[in-house]
Amino acid sequence: MKKRGFADLFFLLLMAYLVLPVVATMFYAFATKWNKTILPEGLTFKWLATLFQDAEFIQAFGRSVLLSSGAVVVALLVIVPAIFVIVLYFPKYEKWIQMAVVMVYSFPGIILAVGLIRVYSKFGVPMILVVLGAYVIGILPYIYQGTRNSLRNIDARQLLDAAQLLGASKLQAFTKILLPTVYPGLFAGALLSFSVLFGEFVLINIVVGSRFETVQIYLMKKLSVSGHIASAVVFIYIVLMGLLTFAIATLTKRSKGATNL
Amino acid sequence: MSYIVIEGLHKKYGSTTVLSNIDMKIDKGEFITLLGPSGCGKSTILRILAGLTDASAGKIIIEGKDMIGVQPKDRQVGMVFQSYALFPNMTVKENVAFGLRMQKVNTAEVDQRVQEMLVIVHLSEKANAYPKELSGGQQQRVALARALIVRPKVLLLDEPLSALDAQIRQKLQADLRAIQQKLGITMILVTHDQEEAMAVSDRIFVMNNGMIAQSGTPTAIYTCPESEFIANFIGHYNVFTRQALETMIGETLPKEYSKYAIRPEAIHLELRQGDVCISGEAKQSLMSGNVIRTTFEGECPFTMEQLHQRGQSFELGKNYVCYVAREDVIALS
Repeated sequence: MKKRGFADLFFLLLMAYLVLPVVATMFYAFATKWNKTILPEGLTFKWLATLFQDAEFIQAFGRSVLLSSGAVVVALLVIVPAIFVIVLYFPKYEKWIQMAVVMVYSFPGIILAVGLIRVYSKFGVPMILVVLGAYVIGILPYIYQGTRNSLRNIDARQLLDAAQLLGASKLQAFTKILLPTVYPGLFAGALLSFSVLFGEFVLINIVVGSRFETVQIYLMKKLSVSGHIASAVVFIYIVLMGLLTFAIATLTKRSKGATNL
Repeated sequence: MSYIVIEGLHKKYGSTTVLSNIDMKIDKGEFITLLGPSGCGKSTILRILAGLTDASAGKIIIEGKDMIGVQPKDRQVGMVFQSYALFPNMTVKENVAFGLRMQKVNTAEVDQRVQEMLVIVHLSEKANAYPKELSGGQQQRVALARALIVRPKVLLLDEPLSALDAQIRQKLQADLRAIQQKLGITMILVTHDQEEAMAVSDRIFVMNNGMIAQSGTPTAIYTCPESEFIANFIGHYNVFTRQALETMIGETLPKEYSKYAIRPEAIHLELRQGDVCISGEAKQSLMSGNVIRTTFEGECPFTMEQLHQRGQSFELGKNYVCYVAREDVIALS
């Protein structure tokens, strides 16, 4: 009983540590004034309204969505077929992908940013494309893991064989059988990748900076202008991430017999 | 000309030969079984027939058409896999309809043929279930229906029943044979289970080390094994060297054969005219269902099988004289 009491206490402390800053930030986004009182003096939608009336924010939000989703789409189009081909036909090469996955984690953002600037700035390549390329590689672990785990639950090669013997071409077998079967895992990986990229700040700030202002750069700017506006930006970010997490959680509950992440 | 002809089929993986000089002729509507131990190359023949694996050399002709180089989807060859290979994202109905949809058959006909096929495999009530909601036996019947509905020229069955428990396996063996006879379809079954092969086949090709060791009807294979391998693999035969058997029965045997085989159930205790006699000390009696298998030791150890209901119990440690009809002593090449 005593053990249980301690466990509950530590759990509550942990939750307070994790949740309180988020709740406080969210309250601050709706507070009329919150300087000398324990709770906000009043609540208002003013800061949110201000934010949505600010064309700069809307553009930054649009850029973040465009950049993150663009990188995810490119990654899905390039990496997923590659993973399928390697897993199904050249499994001995899979270790190279696994090595690439580990290497993604081994480069700190600041070093990656400096490296990208030094290598690509002299070629005249638009740096936003360089960041997009780095993002595509950066989400390799999420896309790879989502696809690979789904494939692990099925005998993909045999499903492909069965479909072909029933008259399907390789492309039909891929699109009608394999892709729908791994779709929940793949989609979850894509959403996870999107949320990670949406919150990315270091690379975009150092390599491109204010020339391509994303939500994170906008947030950084607003921190010195108004705490309420900055909190409103964080609130919108948290709501977006919450929706994405809910979507991932829903998808990872197996649906229709398909495999998941 | 035979419906399916396989001539001089070879398959090598690197320096390893898995199939060597395979020749087979199969008539339309025959139920053929490729029987052999694991790794003998029987599944490779199926995969080559289906076009999923390329042959290193040889010819495959189905209904007069050379199949080398023809894509799997264009061969009109169906296949049922050991692990079912049902599409997990589709219902039973959608799985069965898949082949017809690929052939662009109109929806009304697809629905009608799917319903008919589900009736044949007794799964009408499971039409809207997903594969994961079915038992192993039901999943295998869906796989069978899915392969049969496209009316393939030949249906290949790659150990389709080996993952199922004994009772369901026996039921499905009977179903498989009944469906094959009803539809008149040519089937080639791969199995390592000799009882299964005996139960369903018109002809059996026994394979060993990538070669066909013997072929024939189940009765011919069982009663006339041509080699020690067949005798051991197909029916737990007692195999004796010529010298040992000569000593035991006190007669001289033809010198061109080095080994002889006797079926365990051909050994009996009553002397009949023309019998040869063998003797040994009863060492162990094991009952497997309706059969008692008794092991005797002596100059030549042997095993005797008797039906349980008529079986006599042997006193272990005691010497017995047993008899075998002369025609049941089979010379092995």
